[in-house]
Amino acid sequence: MARRPVPPTDRPPTEAAPRQSPPARRREITFLVLFVVLLGAGFALISLNWVNDHAIEPFTAGVARASAVALRLLGQDVEMRGTILRSSHFAVNIRNGCNGVEAMLIFLAAVLAFPAPWRARAAGLALGVVAIQAVNLVRVVALFLTGVYLPRFFDASHTVIWQTLVILFAVLLWIFWANRLAGGREPAAAG
Amino acid sequence: MSRPRPAEARGPRGARRAAAATPANPAKLRAGWATRFLRNVLLWLLPAWAVWALVTPLYNGFLLGAAQGLLHLTERPDVTALYRHPASLHDAYIARLDFPPARRLVKPFRVTDAHFHLVLAAALFLAVPGVPWRERLRSLGWALLAIVAFDVLLIFLQVKTVYATALGPWSQAHYGPFARNAYGLAWHLFDLPFKLALPFALWAGFNLRLLLGEPAPEHG
Repeated sequence: MARRPVPPTDRPPTEAAPRQSPPARRREITFLVLFVVLLGAGFALISLNWVNDHAIEPFTAGVARASAVALRLLGQDVEMRGTILRSSHFAVNIRNGCNGVEAMLIFLAAVLAFPAPWRARAAGLALGVVAIQAVNLVRVVALFLTGVYLPRFFDASHTVIWQTLVILFAVLLWIFWANRLAGGREPAAAG
Repeated sequence: MSRPRPAEARGPRGARRAAAATPANPAKLRAGWATRFLRNVLLWLLPAWAVWALVTPLYNGFLLGAAQGLLHLTERPDVTALYRHPASLHDAYIARLDFPPARRLVKPFRVTDAHFHLVLAAALFLAVPGVPWRERLRSLGWALLAIVAFDVLLIFLQVKTVYATALGPWSQAHYGPFARNAYGLAWHLFDLPFKLALPFALWAGFNLRLLLGEPAPEHG
């Protein structure tokens, strides 16, 4: 006899039993502690002068170079010096907070803290870094264009809108990774 | 209220979709949940931003008052005053009342930059599909309390870091190398990674079970 299909519900796939077990709570706490420790360690590391000068600054210069190329493709007459992008109308200095490193470190800490196979972690990190940098490139280009054409909105756009969007992108990317690629577990049996 | 129709009654497409999402196909069910979550976050982003923009002037006033109170707990006599900028709802000044009047306003800063993560938190907490509204709102309430406490601490650290590192000879006379480095590192961590990651960490604290494959906690 064919089984009747079960209508899809709005319940998450894992919400089945009413009570949370102690190991589950422990796994949540482990994730959160690991996440905060990895995040703090990552940011403490990049705050060291040597790391900043030898890794972060060259990386930021690479972000500036890619942004300059994208802006020239969009018809902007941009010249680049170090981490500074300049045209006859506007100039920005790309600094920490604008290079996508923060979002990458948040994503990296979350991927490493989540209980998943190392292969899934490696795939998540590789895809995540590329995707976050792609979104950050859009952010830098959009901010430069905002500075040129709508300078009144630059400050709000710089801090509030784009920081929120880039971090939100990293968070949603992680949730998708944890939900789909990290092999999120089968629904728990109803008790 | 009408009862939901069975999948077969919604035609072959409904039945196919339903069959594809049976417990025998949890991957499909998981994908559906993630897609609904993404859609909900995007839908909640604008209302959350609108409410945040509306309450920002009030919240800035509250933050300045609370942070000033916290600063007064660490100084005798109370010499720090946090003044709102007369022409801007978003900016404020750090003032030291023991400095000569000409140097009393030691540093301007943008208060609104401290708390835009509230938008992210609200969108994330309200968007979780499959969690009853009462539970979503309760989780959001606890998260907002934690964020408010964080924001007060952030302003406090900002002022202390200005005192320790930005006032030249005065900073060097009143703060040793360890204090200057400690405040500098704490401000660096709080202002970027912790501020930006806080909504996500809080969201994970309340909702990680949905991704770990654990049963949901009992709710009334």
